[in-house]
Amino acid sequence: MDLGRKHQPDYWIIVICSILLAVGVVIIYAIGPALKVTTNLSGSYYTSRQILAIVLSIVAFTLTAKIPISKWRQYSKWLVVFALGATFLAIILPVNPAYPAHRWVRFGSISFQSIELVKFAAVIWLAGFFARAIKNNTIKDFGKTYKPLLILLLITGVLIAGVQSDLGSTAVLIAMMVIMAFVAGFPLKRIFALGGVIVILLILAIIIFPYRRARIESYLHPSSNCSSASGYQACQALIAVGSGGIFGLGLGHSVQAYGYEPEASNDSIFAIYAETFGFIGSVALVGLFLALFNRFKNVAENIDDEFSQLLIIGIIAWLGTQTLINVGAMVGILPLKGITLPFVSYGGTSIVFSAGAVGLVFQLSGYTKRNSLSQNDNNKRRIAYEGGTYGRRIGRSRNPDLSNSQELEEK
Amino acid sequence: MSNNLIDFQKMSKKRIHIMYSFLVIFVAIIIIQLFLLQIINYNTYKNAALKSQLKQYQIPAERGLIYIEGGNGSQVPIVLDQKLYTLYADPSFIKSNAAANKIAKKIAPIFNANPGQLTSLMETKNTRYIVLGNKLSQAQSQKILSYQIPGIGTQGQDYRVYPEGQLAAQVLGFVNQNGVGEYGIEQAMNKQLAGTPGQVKAVTDASGVPLAANSKNVEIAPKNGDSLVLTLNLGMQSQLEKILAKEYTATKSQGLSAIVMNPYNGHIKAMANFPTFNPANYQDVSNQKIFQNAAVDDDIEPGSTMKIMTTAAALNLGVIKPNTSFYDPAQWTIDGFTIHDIKIDGGAREQNIQSILALSLNTGATWMLMQMGGGQIDRQGINNWYEYMVNHYRLGQVTGIEQGYEAPGFVPPPNMADPSIDLRYANTSFGQGVQLTALQMAAADSSILNGGTYYKPTLIAKTIYPNGQTKVNPPKVLERNVVKPVVGQEMVPLMEGVVKAYLYGGFSFMNFPSNYIVGGKTGTAQLAQPGGGYYKNIFNGTYAGFVGGKNVQYVVVVYNIKPAVPGYAGSYGAQPVFADIVHMLINQGYVTPR
Repeated sequence: MDLGRKHQPDYWIIVICSILLAVGVVIIYAIGPALKVTTNLSGSYYTSRQILAIVLSIVAFTLTAKIPISKWRQYSKWLVVFALGATFLAIILPVNPAYPAHRWVRFGSISFQSIELVKFAAVIWLAGFFARAIKNNTIKDFGKTYKPLLILLLITGVLIAGVQSDLGSTAVLIAMMVIMAFVAGFPLKRIFALGGVIVILLILAIIIFPYRRARIESYLHPSSNCSSASGYQACQALIAVGSGGIFGLGLGHSVQAYGYEPEASNDSIFAIYAETFGFIGSVALVGLFLALFNRFKNVAENIDDEFSQLLIIGIIAWLGTQTLINVGAMVGILPLKGITLPFVSYGGTSIVFSAGAVGLVFQLSGYTKRNSLSQNDNNKRRIAYEGGTYGRRIGRSRNPDLSNSQELEEK
Repeated sequence: MSNNLIDFQKMSKKRIHIMYSFLVIFVAIIIIQLFLLQIINYNTYKNAALKSQLKQYQIPAERGLIYIEGGNGSQVPIVLDQKLYTLYADPSFIKSNAAANKIAKKIAPIFNANPGQLTSLMETKNTRYIVLGNKLSQAQSQKILSYQIPGIGTQGQDYRVYPEGQLAAQVLGFVNQNGVGEYGIEQAMNKQLAGTPGQVKAVTDASGVPLAANSKNVEIAPKNGDSLVLTLNLGMQSQLEKILAKEYTATKSQGLSAIVMNPYNGHIKAMANFPTFNPANYQDVSNQKIFQNAAVDDDIEPGSTMKIMTTAAALNLGVIKPNTSFYDPAQWTIDGFTIHDIKIDGGAREQNIQSILALSLNTGATWMLMQMGGGQIDRQGINNWYEYMVNHYRLGQVTGIEQGYEAPGFVPPPNMADPSIDLRYANTSFGQGVQLTALQMAAADSSILNGGTYYKPTLIAKTIYPNGQTKVNPPKVLERNVVKPVVGQEMVPLMEGVVKAYLYGGFSFMNFPSNYIVGGKTGTAQLAQPGGGYYKNIFNGTYAGFVGGKNVQYVVVVYNIKPAVPGYAGSYGAQPVFADIVHMLINQGYVTPR
């Protein structure tokens, strides 16, 4: 695997992620008094733990940004083994009565959610899987590509949706698989067939677990269900978002955080944010996420290596789905899932592994064939290049195959 | 470069665009939804938020206390307040059976509750308020609150405490579970005693604790209730209650009431009924009638005690003099009915005002009514007597004493369409066909004996405001010229004569020390039978009298309902009670001797 010459990576990625992390810390700090009321732990407890998570995420980011992509690809099998091991540990280990789902691996005071490692390992492994299929031209082969995917889907369904009862993460993993398969050139017919299988599984999951049925019902009638246990959170989220108005109640003035909206610092942090900063702030935050994914997309579009491209697409699918599911639930257009808002929600595991994923994209952003990260940048650079002040030719891959394809395309 | 990779490059670009377009569309949907939620439907959600966040609380005002006169100008508390606490849970905060169990085990021992029962209460569905315990002490409440368990709280409530037990229970009344006074002074003075609750309107957290410094918070401080010092005298009241309890049994009474009143300012010094109740356990009373202060709330036909008023009216009109004599025919025929005396004393003969009262001659009272008109029962006499009953003695209307359910009594209107109105009015001259409460009688007789001023009878001597200032309740004059002062002076010896006559007639208990003046009048009242006429063998006994030294000092009225005594209900049922009260007043030093 040759990514060509390295050039300056896209520092906007770091800027955007830093803003998102800062927003999370600020909100968690601001609702500290409310968290104290609802959980009896001081606000500074949450803030300091979040800051610690950010420190760890910088470490994770540095590792993924520095260790060459080829190594990650090479060892992705081991990552998968590791992730599966963690999942089994989470299932086997005794649970915390406060959070009875088998989602946590604990070693003394350190604990992490195995699913975040699973997403990280899966995205790298899947990118490799599809890249190999492209290279060997087996992408349309039922036995070599379709069947393993189905098996993977089944394993995900059983372990994540079934045993861990984590439908949100299942959705993220499935979205990852489907979108990567789609971009990898999977026949549309098979994707639709896959979609059919997923819908059937989803219906089964809803029928088997009554609490999910209740969630769906409360999703369909949010305001009528403010008093019921299943609809309470969704209803209070809508109240939080709506009562924010145009400008929001202002930092430190959230009321819904005071025990009305459950999980104010985790899954529901967007609702509290929207209450605090209003429509303007909410659009800005959603826009920030879109900008981040736009940067990612630009890197993906301009990289000549199919593994790298698929890896970035997988990461967009991962973080994008997670963002949309989370925000969508808070604004009442999707049913509630226990899923965090990347970088913003309280929770170390999610932040560390998301930062790790971003580190991979950041590394790859130094290897795009044209530094066309945005139209604006592009123009500036072109002017600079044409003016002769730009000292080196950047982004052109030295991979002869890819160079050819470039030329063919240009014809 | 293999074809498949070239294909991939072409295709993937397109598909990345498709994927990204979906992402953008989804983000656009989210922004549209945000626009709907935060701008278009802002008011809906703002109101929904305030509905759950903005809570309105009443800050209860402290109810005023009640004191009575303890002698030597001291005040003795008779009704106190004690704050006790209701323990409640908001089950929406208690997530699981295990959590409920844990909480129950923690708090149950503090107030000796059953943890299992608490657990099941905390698991009550579809409510946000469930009572776990009542009447917890402040210490118990504070201990539970110190655990800071989400969803568990206490609420203070005032309870009345009665340091003098059931003393003056019917005068006091009680305060029900909603904090509202019922019966007696608690009912009549409820507004003043209760004060005005304050209000807090505050944005609160989900458990209802107000968030500090929110611009929407409003707080109005409560106005505590006023405390009252009653005119009742502790010693006199408790002695009176003992006497009534004893005489209730002795006279086989069905209800005994008595009032001791100061005729010069309307102050009720003692007022009681038997049977009575314990206000601390008012819930245990099954017959609600017992809550009523019968001396104020029950009007009856008083019988011959009414003759005091008839005589005073005739004296004031100048149609008789205290020493006027007349020929008593022993019976009058009015409207075809015969009026005669209950006891026939020697038949037709010469009588006088003193003997009308001493022998309780109904024919004599009727004769006095005749003198108020043109020498017989006529329109002028009826109008004159009605004017005295209603406008001088203020009968047929409530006195306005600070008591619940006061009865207005009844005076037949002179213009009522009744062919035997003359007979009806003749009856009223000796206390039949007219209804009075014991209080109305005491107040009216007071107005005669004090020389003509009708004071509004009152139980309130002083009001103590929450700031500690006190205001003396000034006597309120409702009628100034009830009778001329001389009539009051003339009535004293006439009523004394009645007491003497009974003493000489063998009622040895009517023997009072010579340096005191004691006067009165008995009444043996017939009870109206439903459907007309009167019962043959059932009577109410009444007595209206006074005790004093140089002057009249107390007016005493006794009503004895249906006593079973071997003689006239007035003489044998009510008179001994009056005698006991007067002896008590004299012996305890409440009366200043001559």
